[in-house]
Amino acid sequence: MSRARWLALLSCLLGLFGMTVAACGSNDNESDSGGSAGISGDTLTIYSSLPLQGTSKGQSEAVISGEKLALKQASNKVGKYTIKYVSLDDSTAQNPGTADEAQTASNARKAVQDKSTIFYLGEFNSGGTKVSLPILNKANIPQISPSNTYVGLTTNKPGSEPGEPDKYYPAQKRTYARVVPADDIQAAALVTTMKEDGCKSVHIFNDKTTYGAGLARNIELAAEAQSLKVEGNDGTDRNAPNYRSLAAKVKADCFVGSGVTGENYVQVFKDVAAANPTAKLYGPDGVAEEAFTNPAKGGIPADVGARTKITVATLGLEEFKKRNNAEAEKFFTDYEKEYGDASPDPYAIYGYETMSLALASLKAVGDKANDREAVRAQLLENTKDRESALGVYSIDENGDTTLTDYGLYLIKNGEPAFEKVIKAQAAG
Amino acid sequence: MEAASVTSAPPRRRSEAVREFLSQYGLIAILLILPVAYGIQDLSNDGNLNRLGNNLVEGLSNGAILALIALGYTLVYGIIELINFAHGEVFMLGSLSAAALYTTFGLTPNTGTTGLVLGLAAILVLAMLASASLNVMIERVAYRPLRGAPKLAPLITAVGMSFILQNVGILWIGASQTAVPDLLGSQKHLIEIWGVTITRGHLLAIAVTIPLVMLLTTFVTRSRLGKAMRATAQDPEAARLMGINVDTTISLTFLLGGLMAGAAGLISALYQTSIWYFQGFSAGLYAFTAAVMGGIGNIRGAVLGGFIIGVIQGISDNRIGNDWTPAIVFVYLVIIMVFRPQGLIGEETREAG
Repeated sequence: MSRARWLALLSCLLGLFGMTVAACGSNDNESDSGGSAGISGDTLTIYSSLPLQGTSKGQSEAVISGEKLALKQASNKVGKYTIKYVSLDDSTAQNPGTADEAQTASNARKAVQDKSTIFYLGEFNSGGTKVSLPILNKANIPQISPSNTYVGLTTNKPGSEPGEPDKYYPAQKRTYARVVPADDIQAAALVTTMKEDGCKSVHIFNDKTTYGAGLARNIELAAEAQSLKVEGNDGTDRNAPNYRSLAAKVKADCFVGSGVTGENYVQVFKDVAAANPTAKLYGPDGVAEEAFTNPAKGGIPADVGARTKITVATLGLEEFKKRNNAEAEKFFTDYEKEYGDASPDPYAIYGYETMSLALASLKAVGDKANDREAVRAQLLENTKDRESALGVYSIDENGDTTLTDYGLYLIKNGEPAFEKVIKAQAAG
Repeated sequence: MEAASVTSAPPRRRSEAVREFLSQYGLIAILLILPVAYGIQDLSNDGNLNRLGNNLVEGLSNGAILALIALGYTLVYGIIELINFAHGEVFMLGSLSAAALYTTFGLTPNTGTTGLVLGLAAILVLAMLASASLNVMIERVAYRPLRGAPKLAPLITAVGMSFILQNVGILWIGASQTAVPDLLGSQKHLIEIWGVTITRGHLLAIAVTIPLVMLLTTFVTRSRLGKAMRATAQDPEAARLMGINVDTTISLTFLLGGLMAGAAGLISALYQTSIWYFQGFSAGLYAFTAAVMGGIGNIRGAVLGGFIIGVIQGISDNRIGNDWTPAIVFVYLVIIMVFRPQGLIGEETREAG
């Protein structure tokens, strides 16, 4: 073999070796830190990843306020460890109001690369968690979402897609929990409300996101279980200039917009309300924000708001007081003291509980609070009958909360106003 | 622009004439498939054509906005054979300017009729001027220096301008869809004819678009500057030798396209009652499609294309599904391009020969 050929062969072998090392290296970067060796030092980092731009900004800020309040109550300490809180934005200027996939992946990788990471709180949107969960799972980083409701993140119940939820857990163990009931419960709550309101049939629009399309499937199932006729379930294109022709299809006496504000759902509700002036309108927690409810902030007009009811997995202060929930009362009192706001956004209490649950898991494992595996096992296997601001609940083997109460909200003065509790059970 | 055509028709054989006949009238048949099929369905189901009529009205009013935007694409392409990808964003900024002027003029849904009419007329003029100035500036800064460059250079510059202007939109109003006051009561019913509802928004879109298109057509066909535009479109070098200031004529073309985009911007803000930094991208894409479908370079073609796409959208949204509409529109475009690459009433441009 000539010298030139030898050199070429050597180069190829070196290249192959380099690629193998690089591939193994990148894999190691994501999985090594997940072992049970423990984080060195006395500082543990908790990352929060939420959309801080666009229509969900208000809700995200409420979550962060709640998280910071819980952390402040603990004086940023758990045992001998100091807790460092890092807030990340999973949205972008071009894609605000929701989790941008590339940005979300970047946030998750940032948490993975930080050796001091002990918890990741997020995402706000289920579609974002689909991206961050597998990345964090490989690194064995425990994750808690304050707001995800899509069923496929934790179970293969009706409404999920094939391959879910296993595809989100490449490490083949659960690392994810959420403090809000999943959409099979929310769908049942929406259908229960519609039945109570005398609806004979319903037309659903969904925004084609993981959350919106999944919830729409759950609403169909719940409607079937409660004998409510479904006239249609249509996807909506975020980029469409309007939905007037589509809205003209809505002949049912009730309408559900299964989507989030950022997917142009103000326009959707306006157009449906105009096309069918007598239809009762319903929205899920994805539109429970001022960007949707307040006309002065670009939300639906007041007359459309007067016809709209919204379900959110949180209850009003009065309801918590009625239930003698001391933790909730403490939250509301401390929140007002800290931020001067006596009626916080419904998501503030979820942020508060998300951080409280994370801190409780760390506290429970004592000196092993720097051990991701110990913390993960505590969160997923030993969170039982926890007395929290949301009520007494457990985290089941899938990572779901055992809470099932949903709150029904009306729109008053441009804000979601708690009306009553909806007791609902998932269909099937 | 029609004047872009260079036709020296050779004697045609019979088979060519038959093929041309089929390409022209076969396409008309294809275009009529949706309305005819759904019309038959409506007659058998409901015994009337009310639903189809409502689809057509909705489509025509949406199409009117597209037509105004499409004119900008077609004018510019007709004269310098550049696809001005930034044109959708010129429309978007026209819309944002118009919405901002609501506040300046103190217009609210409670403003009286006279105040509203006068205020909106003033805003229409200002929004048109703002978009026109922007379009002329873009031409002067980004395209004119590239006049002699390879065609890809201005094309990619246009794409770049589009992104720059989108970001201007984000800086101005943020990146979320923003509701604006419904000054006219856009969806309020005005009149019902044979079960077909005409709203204020429908009337506005048609009532503003048609006179503007007529004015533009008259200007291009009758005025001296219009003749200069047509001469430049036909042969810029010959036009220059005949004493026409080609650069000024090109600027005039951008000015006219910008005026139409500004008008479309105000109509869109009044009609949709929301504005968005990305509205120009999607509307621009459909408008460009409309210009190509009708025959790019042809004013009547752009208007026809706009109305056709609007109607396809209206029917598809209502019958097939909003999420399928983009695919349906582009299926139509592909079919038309395959059988009639020059567009429905387009003629061959300088480039195409």
